[in-house]
Amino acid sequence: MYQYSEQDHQLLLERVEQFRGQVQRRLSGQLSEDEFKQQRLRNGLYLQLHAYMLRVAIPYGLLSAEQMRTLAHIARKYDKGYGHFSTRQNIQYNWPQLEDVPDILDDLAAVEMHAIQTSGNCIRNTTSDPLAGVARDEIEDPRPYCELIRQWSTFHPEFNFLPRKFKIAVSGAIGDRAAVAVHDIGLRLVEGPEGENGFEIYVGGGLGRTPMIGKLIRPFLPKEDMLTYLEAILRVYNQLGRRDNLYKARIKILVHETGEEKFRELVEEEWQKIKATGLYLREQDVERIKGFFKDPDYETLPDTDAEFENQLLSNPEFARWADKNIELHKQSGYRVVYLSLKSANQPPGDVTADQMDAVADLADKYSLGQIRTTHRQNLVLSDVKLQDLPALWQELKALDLATPNYNHVTDIISCPGLDYCALATARSIPISKAITDRFDDYDFVNDLGDVSINISGCINACGHHHVANIGILGVNKKGEEVYQLTLGGSAREDASIGKIIGPAFDADQIVDAIGDVLNVYLENREEPEETFLATYRRLGQDPFKERLYG
Amino acid sequence: MALQVYTASLLKEGLVAYLSLKDGVPSWTADIREATADTADRLDSLKAAAESAEQDNIVVAPYVIDVLETENGWKAATKREQIRAEGPSFALPQDSSTAHRSDESRRAA
Ligand code: HEM
Ligand code: SF4
Repeated sequence: MYQYSEQDHQLLLERVEQFRGQVQRRLSGQLSEDEFKQQRLRNGLYLQLHAYMLRVAIPYGLLSAEQMRTLAHIARKYDKGYGHFSTRQNIQYNWPQLEDVPDILDDLAAVEMHAIQTSGNCIRNTTSDPLAGVARDEIEDPRPYCELIRQWSTFHPEFNFLPRKFKIAVSGAIGDRAAVAVHDIGLRLVEGPEGENGFEIYVGGGLGRTPMIGKLIRPFLPKEDMLTYLEAILRVYNQLGRRDNLYKARIKILVHETGEEKFRELVEEEWQKIKATGLYLREQDVERIKGFFKDPDYETLPDTDAEFENQLLSNPEFARWADKNIELHKQSGYRVVYLSLKSANQPPGDVTADQMDAVADLADKYSLGQIRTTHRQNLVLSDVKLQDLPALWQELKALDLATPNYNHVTDIISCPGLDYCALATARSIPISKAITDRFDDYDFVNDLGDVSINISGCINACGHHHVANIGILGVNKKGEEVYQLTLGGSAREDASIGKIIGPAFDADQIVDAIGDVLNVYLENREEPEETFLATYRRLGQDPFKERLYG
Repeated sequence: MALQVYTASLLKEGLVAYLSLKDGVPSWTADIREATADTADRLDSLKAAAESAEQDNIVVAPYVIDVLETENGWKAATKREQIRAEGPSFALPQDSSTAHRSDESRRAA
């Protein structure tokens, strides 16, 4: 894991002290809310429906056990005993008090964490594949590049006041587990013509009221040019991105309005000017960062284990969990374990302080002391020995973190919606709960296979409903919460934006509507292996429309 | 004419508060039922009290909302404001062991 330099520590402490002063001046009335708002947003502090909300960055989703314990401590001491893991690998606290926030930031700084650039029109937390470094389908570990981007983008003076927020994701595998296509810039490590790895660069993806899939503006970029190229894109955006209209300010609109070809030319032109500057990545710089992400000393183990196999055969409950929530690891004898934050008992992505502490302990005991957070709002223990899986499962079950549903129908992404969010038009968490309660039969969930449901409480689309196989958008229609269905989205390597199927459903109809959609799939799939998305893409909207409105 | 009350967020806590004006003395309460309501054409004194509380850095961004009269007192007219008044519409995640901040602090003002 990356470790801060002395200078990083110093910078962070200075920033906390600066904010402490700003909070004091606000509380004593020396600063007006208008003046203070800009400062608090620079430090990830929003004012939401019920309270302040603090968004803390988890760089590329990687946490040490110690950091997780600090997150638990903050939840317990300063909040209501829980936190919310978001789709962009942040954690949000829903109830901090203003006067406590500097102390919270101090506690975070002690474990090399912060809330800087988690809001406002700047480059946000760079997100990545939760399986980085351990995935079997990985071309190259993306984390060193994420870290380089983090260092480049943090406090970047030129890009502190962009036309709008800016989100970057990096993936190093064949499968996309980081929703690269719906980011302002998405980078995918690929093998180049000469066997050398480089990046595919996608620009202009995003959700919100104008959802768009990123355009491939460069099919191959040598790795050493990564930062100069990113700088060139950001410069073009900073100069030409629209500042006159909030709804047209994201880079996706600029790319769309300029045209892909012209935009590419502008970037290339800018790039030629800065290509050979100090941002050019020298091999030794990259190697130094790579040193922080070296493989741990894995034991040499066979890829089978007698007790594991025995449990699979004799314990159906364990077998279900193993089937759903475990993934292969590049190292023989190890597995990746998904900790489901999607039980019926808590909102998607929410974790209590005790659960956080327990997960930290489990990471120490079973997984080399690290935890990752995922785009689908779950957690991952990335390095668990096959032989430890039965014991780990027992402990996860006791913590309500072992619901066997990873990438299945109840693994729902949900934004906070009207229960927390000041911008919301409808609730999303109660809908996710109703769906989870309805589809609680394992055999049904299993039979449905790989399918995603995402819910947003307004058109800003924080819940990524556009890129779900089944997306739900809550809207306010004459004072009533109603829910629009979109079908056919995907956030993976075959990314697509879902299409609205028809008029919205009332809150008490939406779960039945989901049931109908799932049944149309089950009745029409050509074989059990044909996924929901494949069936939908083959059939189109008609049979679904007919069932829903016919 | 619809009845209205003033609401805002408490600066220090960030929590939801409603303006009560008793005998000309303003205070902010977490309980919407304790708020002072009036019709839009008679909101002047409430408005002045809300604005001065904002200037005195007690609350942030006061605004008026419509309320309905019920057996139990005022109830916000819209779903959004009902949720603001009552909190999230489900039980918050909770550890059995946790002695986190109780709702008492909601009444701190
Ligand atoms: C509750 C406080 C929140 C506020 C005020 C907020 C605000 C917004 C706004 C205004 C947008 C639209 C941006 C645009 O189109 O330019 C947006 C998009 C987004 N937000 Fe949030 N959000 C909140 C919570 C969250 C949460 C909890 C998550 C993660 C679950 C999240 C992740 C995202 C993502 C991934 C997008 C869409 C991607 C994109 O930027 O195009 N936000 N948010
Ligand atoms: S999608 Fe809308 S309701 Fe949901 S968190 Fe984002 S801004 Fe709030």
